[in-house]
Amino acid sequence: MNSPHERRKLPSRLADSALTTATDSASKSFDYTPDAMMPDVKVFKVGGQSIMDRGREAVFPILDELVAAKDDHKLLLCCGGGTRARHVYAVASDLELPTGLLAALGGYVPRQNARMLQMLLAKHGGIYIMNDDFEKLPLYFRLGCIPIMTGMPPFGYWEKPSEGGRIPENRTDAGVFLTAEALGVKRAIFIKDEAGLFEDDPKKNKAAKHIPRITASELEKSDLPDMIVERVVVTYLQRARFCTELQIINGLERGMITRALKGEDVGTIITAK
Amino acid sequence: MSKLVTGDGRTHIESSLMRESLVDRRVIAKTSSEEEFAIMPDVVMVGIGGQSIFDRGKGAVRPLVEELSALRATKKHKMVLSVGGGTRVRHTMSVALDLGLPLGGVAQLVGAMEECNAVFLNALLAKHGSIVMQREHFWELPLYLESGMLPIVISTPPYHFWEPPPAEGCLPTHGSDFGLFIHAEVLGARRIIFVKDEDGLYDKDPKKHTDAKQIKHTTLAALMKNMPEELILDHALFTTWQRARHIKHVQIVNGLVPGQLTKALAGEPVGTVIVKE
Repeated sequence: MNSPHERRKLPSRLADSALTTATDSASKSFDYTPDAMMPDVKVFKVGGQSIMDRGREAVFPILDELVAAKDDHKLLLCCGGGTRARHVYAVASDLELPTGLLAALGGYVPRQNARMLQMLLAKHGGIYIMNDDFEKLPLYFRLGCIPIMTGMPPFGYWEKPSEGGRIPENRTDAGVFLTAEALGVKRAIFIKDEAGLFEDDPKKNKAAKHIPRITASELEKSDLPDMIVERVVVTYLQRARFCTELQIINGLERGMITRALKGEDVGTIITAK
Repeated sequence: MSKLVTGDGRTHIESSLMRESLVDRRVIAKTSSEEEFAIMPDVVMVGIGGQSIFDRGKGAVRPLVEELSALRATKKHKMVLSVGGGTRVRHTMSVALDLGLPLGGVAQLVGAMEECNAVFLNALLAKHGSIVMQREHFWELPLYLESGMLPIVISTPPYHFWEPPPAEGCLPTHGSDFGLFIHAEVLGARRIIFVKDEDGLYDKDPKKHTDAKQIKHTTLAALMKNMPEELILDHALFTTWQRARHIKHVQIVNGLVPGQLTKALAGEPVGTVIVKE
């Protein structure tokens, strides 16, 4: 409709774009090749159920390895949730509350875990950081610190409803992947209590065969009821511009973190292609 | 009382999800149920266009502000407002993409332009009881509404550096229409009204095509089957709506026509009504 009050535009290549679709024609005019912000950061996920809930027996040797490496690497630690997050999700599901609420509540536990690691690492430069401190990472690394944050992405109440249930689809695996992707890091390392992917559940079948390498599309095609990482991560990996590899290592086995930091393909590597 | 369970090296709290893989579809299914609790079902979200209304200046904004203050005076509706960022968002993205900033970085930047418009709107509505609601004050919404205030929320969702990569292209896909939708959905609201500068949804962009046909009433299912290429609302809003539980009614009205918003709030089918059946 014609209006006497015309839209006032700042001239730009997207000035006439609705920006409502990914296929927006004006956006195609950009030769978009983003620069990696901090590609040399080593992004780690410290598992909640797999590591933190095991207590000192599992956590202390892992921290020893990380501290030993801290002067040679920029380490960013992101925490998972674990059994308390499962309890929160179970209570919230019983109360029939929406996914966004579960995502917001699920954020509390990884923050607790991050604070625990901060207390343990304080004397080695461990600092607890919030999502809003992300832009201060260069400072923390320059000071020789080990920044520790939640693995949960900051979606909270704005998390999409999930399909087939209430548990948020973007949890700490997704958050750690997205952290690495934002920093322009090629490989995110997940410290768990198994050496990655097996043909059967290694907790139930000791003879289960280890799978050292698999592509995201192979994982997707296998269409198993269970998966080694959050399903959205398998989707995101294939769309990534930077973070095209996930490495899952067994943190209970001494030396694995050190070998992963050297770039060795220990554990299981999930690749975008 | 929940009890602690040990024996496998880990300490668990007993719950229906104890020890489980939260990625397992069978486990996820246990968290589903027919019903979902609606936190604030009476809230009506009203999204005001940035480019379509705000960028037109005083002539378009002032009459709408008057309509909003009159609506608030009736105390009939629990309205929550938001406003888009408009042309400055386009400019921000153009510069950011040209500089080769990462996708998450682009997403981190754009919300600020919307916040400027929220402050503008708040300045114009302050004497009628408006307040810009910060995200951290999420649970103050009942306080604002019970005291008769007119909250203005920031609709761009806080995905920031963690914006998931899009299936194609270089634009963040979780924009402000999507953000307002998801905010309404988590509150258990039933409807959202978008105030734009057109009489709703058309089969193609009416600004570019004189033969564009208005769609007065449609369903989400019909729209998904036959999605217009040039969309007035975020595509992600519609894909997310498919799995949403509460929102039943999305209406798009023309904010340049005085009274359309009032009619829409009264339940009249002005503009375009999209329903989920």
